Amino acid sequence: MTGSPRVSAPRSLGASLLDAVLAETLDPAYAQAAEARAAGRSPERRRWRARTLVALTMVLAGLLVSIAYDQAAAGAQGREQVREALVGDIDKESSVSDDLQTQLGQLSGQVTSTRDELLAHSAVGQQALDRLARAEQGAAAVKVTGPGILVTLANADPEADADPVGGTAADDSSGRVRDGDLQLVVNSLWAAGAEAISINGQRLGPLTAIRFAGEAVLVDFKPVNNPYEVSAIGDPDTLAGKFLASPEVIALAAVSKTFGLRFDYARKDELTLPAASTPELHIAVREGSAEEAPATDPTPGG
Amino acid sequence: MIPIIGLAAGVLLGLFLDPTVPLWLQPYLPIAVVAALDAVFGGFRARLDGIFDAKVFVISFVSNVVVAGLIVFLGDQLGVGAQLSTAVVVVLGIRIFGNAAAIRRHVFRA
Repeated sequence: MTGSPRVSAPRSLGASLLDAVLAETLDPAYAQAAEARAAGRSPERRRWRARTLVALTMVLAGLLVSIAYDQAAAGAQGREQVREALVGDIDKESSVSDDLQTQLGQLSGQVTSTRDELLAHSAVGQQALDRLARAEQGAAAVKVTGPGILVTLANADPEADADPVGGTAADDSSGRVRDGDLQLVVNSLWAAGAEAISINGQRLGPLTAIRFAGEAVLVDFKPVNNPYEVSAIGDPDTLAGKFLASPEVIALAAVSKTFGLRFDYARKDELTLPAASTPELHIAVREGSAEEAPATDPTPGG
Repeated sequence: MIPIIGLAAGVLLGLFLDPTVPLWLQPYLPIAVVAALDAVFGGFRARLDGIFDAKVFVISFVSNVVVAGLIVFLGDQLGVGAQLSTAVVVVLGIRIFGNAAAIRRHVFRA
């Protein structure tokens, strides 16, 4: 550190660099040229050529400025356009997908009614229809309504953290409902005698998987969100009794108390569960051997 | 007067012709503009100081633009392009500020 800039002691490199930058805002060449002119070494010659050169340089400067401005403006506009185009694409494709979904629903409804009409004519057909109805019930292919219980699982509330054991909700993932918790609830409900189960309106079929993908729980490969409402159809009293008595549920209740998860259940007089997503046809067999062979591929998907 | 007309003509030309800049040149355009602004402000101040010289102005303009572009190009090759751009902008920005202050003193006598 030097006391004053007048002291001739060597300044640090950075300081002298800054001095140079701050002091020499004008190119020293101007002063030199002026001196040279004053000394008469370089006479004023061809003023017009000099003026044209300066004018051309200024044209160049203006061009640079306007081109740079154009580029920046075009870039911003282009980004906005691309964004809008992508958003439009997404909207369009999802509406196409929705259309196809409704079309699929209509067509499979037609197929079902036509099939039922044809089968209803004969006794063999009637039998087949009964078997089919039972299979569809089991395969969650039809909408069902009835009494049952509603189990609610929800992530820990970060604000209302009045839990004495779990401590703060600093560890974000510990206060979350995981796929395993939902699987446990669903399995306990099946074991307690549930006839049909859905999670947030997503019906569980025989091949439906409950999985974890990043932060989201996927049911049948479609994301479901917190809070998770598991509806189960069955006799509410036996269902609730067996469900609450099962050791897995007792363990889960303890865990959710520790981590502040919400874990409730309620008896419902009337629950309506939608049909599961349209099952894919894995195997088709002739009617004569239908009793021996399963209607669908028994290997679980996912 | 002629230089200002030239500047305006350049801006209008650029806006109306809308020339396409090759892709490899586009990253250097903003730096080139800052360097050009520095040269233009320097020239204006020299003119107000009464020491303007056409040759010095043209050479400083061209070399400013080319050197600024080269420094950024070199930085890009070395992987420090963003930092070197910042350095160039800081140095040229300080000079533009200083020259603008000198011009202000000339014009407003304050």
